[in-house]
Amino acid sequence: MFDRDIWQEIFHSIKNNKLRTFLTGFSVAWAIFILVLLLGSVNGMKNGFTGQFADDANNSITIRTGLTSMAYAGFEADRRIQLRNDDVEYISKSFPKDVEYITPIMNRNASTRYKSETGSYSIRAVNPEHLFIDKTKITEGRYLNDNDLYKSAKVAVIGKKIVEDLYGKDSALGSFLEVNGLPYKVIGVFEEDGRDDNAERTIFAPITTMQRIYGQTDEINQISLTYNPNFDLTEALNFSERIENLIKRRHKVAPDDQAAVRVFNYAQFFSEISSFTAGMSMMSIIVGALILLAGVVGIGNIMVFIIKERTKEIGVRKALGAKPWQIIKLVLLESVFTTVLAGFLGMLFASLILAAIGPNINTPAFANPSVSISTVLTATIILVVSGVLAGLIPSIKAANVKPIVALSDK
Amino acid sequence: MIEIKDLHKSYKMGNNSLHVLKGINFKVNEGELVAIMGSSGSGKSTLLNILGMLDGADSGEYTLDGVPIKNLSETKAAEYRNKFLGFIFQSFNLINYKSALENVALPLYYQKVPRKERQEKAMQYLERVGLKPWADHLPSELSGGQKQRVAIARAMAAEPKVLLADEPTGALDSTTSYEVMDLIQKINDEGNTILVVTHEEDIAHMCKRIVHLKDGIIVEDKKIEQVRAEQYV
Repeated sequence: MFDRDIWQEIFHSIKNNKLRTFLTGFSVAWAIFILVLLLGSVNGMKNGFTGQFADDANNSITIRTGLTSMAYAGFEADRRIQLRNDDVEYISKSFPKDVEYITPIMNRNASTRYKSETGSYSIRAVNPEHLFIDKTKITEGRYLNDNDLYKSAKVAVIGKKIVEDLYGKDSALGSFLEVNGLPYKVIGVFEEDGRDDNAERTIFAPITTMQRIYGQTDEINQISLTYNPNFDLTEALNFSERIENLIKRRHKVAPDDQAAVRVFNYAQFFSEISSFTAGMSMMSIIVGALILLAGVVGIGNIMVFIIKERTKEIGVRKALGAKPWQIIKLVLLESVFTTVLAGFLGMLFASLILAAIGPNINTPAFANPSVSISTVLTATIILVVSGVLAGLIPSIKAANVKPIVALSDK
Repeated sequence: MIEIKDLHKSYKMGNNSLHVLKGINFKVNEGELVAIMGSSGSGKSTLLNILGMLDGADSGEYTLDGVPIKNLSETKAAEYRNKFLGFIFQSFNLINYKSALENVALPLYYQKVPRKERQEKAMQYLERVGLKPWADHLPSELSGGQKQRVAIARAMAAEPKVLLADEPTGALDSTTSYEVMDLIQKINDEGNTILVVTHEEDIAHMCKRIVHLKDGIIVEDKKIEQVRAEQYV
């Protein structure tokens, strides 16, 4: 492999056939170029999808309810299912070991005013555990705490975008913000990782406060929770099913009613995305490999030609004592070397293009297409295999050259 | 050194079979310089191919330095060729992109001799054929006689038991031919066994023994008084 003489011969052979080597090498470089761009794009799609949800814990489950779609247990269809505070407690008590954090959520629109600036946002009433479920990042002040909840304090944690919209140069912390006609004291400012700007146009307030203000109710819109982070996909999906069954039983909903209770598990979503992008990667590899096949045939072709040209020389070598395997090695190495070199050039170009434009692309479905180590490894393996494939037939042909040709003088 | 008993060889030409060698019996002792003569079609090339393990015989026995040569695999044949035989060709057959030194070192490369040792040894043999100053030249920069001398150095580099020369002077003018024969005679003087295939009478008479082939059998095998090539150089 690291024999100086073999490399000397390979370089000689390539040097003597520069144009031919370049033309065939180009087809391989082109194929790998396309393959890497495709794989980079799949990466971009993956980044786009997962980036959408980067602001939530990926072991989270949300529960929402609606109208029943079928009659069950003596009730008619189209009955509204309403989640209440005690549903939250019921879930916590039913799965004390599986639930990590849990919060009730109540959503309202919020007409908001600070001094003369006004804006329309949404207000989200939660308990302090929501911080960990939503992965909210506090940049100033603090989040809601149990004391706020206990006292039903009129306090608010507001998103960075609201501060930008309403406050100008004023400090938001400690100010009073008027929401739907009532003043709330701003105790914290937050930002979100995700690319969804609206997430930062949200006001968080204690659930107890909101329930008292909006009609002394215990109704809630939604329950969010995170489960034991050690769960694998099967356990996670199994757990959301158990929760769904529990809520359905409690509210007397038919077990196969899809509309009344909706449990959304991020794990399922993520597994769907990964199997989707895995499918896309596989397809890219197949498409790339098919294009590469043309290049491989090209290299095989040039090798056959070179062997034909060098038949006499190979005959002389055999007469001097070259073993068939040594001849095969020579041809295979040349083929693999040409293929890998051309392929790496193609890969380099594709990577440079992705590195140049990738970071500038940032849309919901497509973000930062890039080349990963696994892409490079995949391409390298494909290249070496192709090189061997391209050289196989020519090398066997070369090994079969009879040393007698060295004696026949033409 | 070489012993051949009742050697037969025929080639299939379509439906016909061409019987080229029809029972050759032949023995060469160590240190001999033998000329194999015959017109084209006499079977001398076929005999040389079989002696050189480039082709197999149909029947008969071939023993080289006490080793029976029969049913060799490609790999084994390559190993034996490398160990036992040195080839000298009519058209030199040097590898055109390798320097004289590298050409001479090639058989040693196939013997897996380390690079440095290989080049030292090759240089010694180049010196013996008087081409040390041309070691770094490519074959295209050498004259015909020089090329054949490089080829002879290459054939000897692996220190084979027998040198096989196929029309070694066929592509050379007469002065150069005698120079090459002079070199071959000197190598023979040192005790090397050499077989020369030729159709030129004067070249044959520079050997010590002439074997005449005709229609696939040996018609004449005689020891002769060697004519030294030195006097013509």
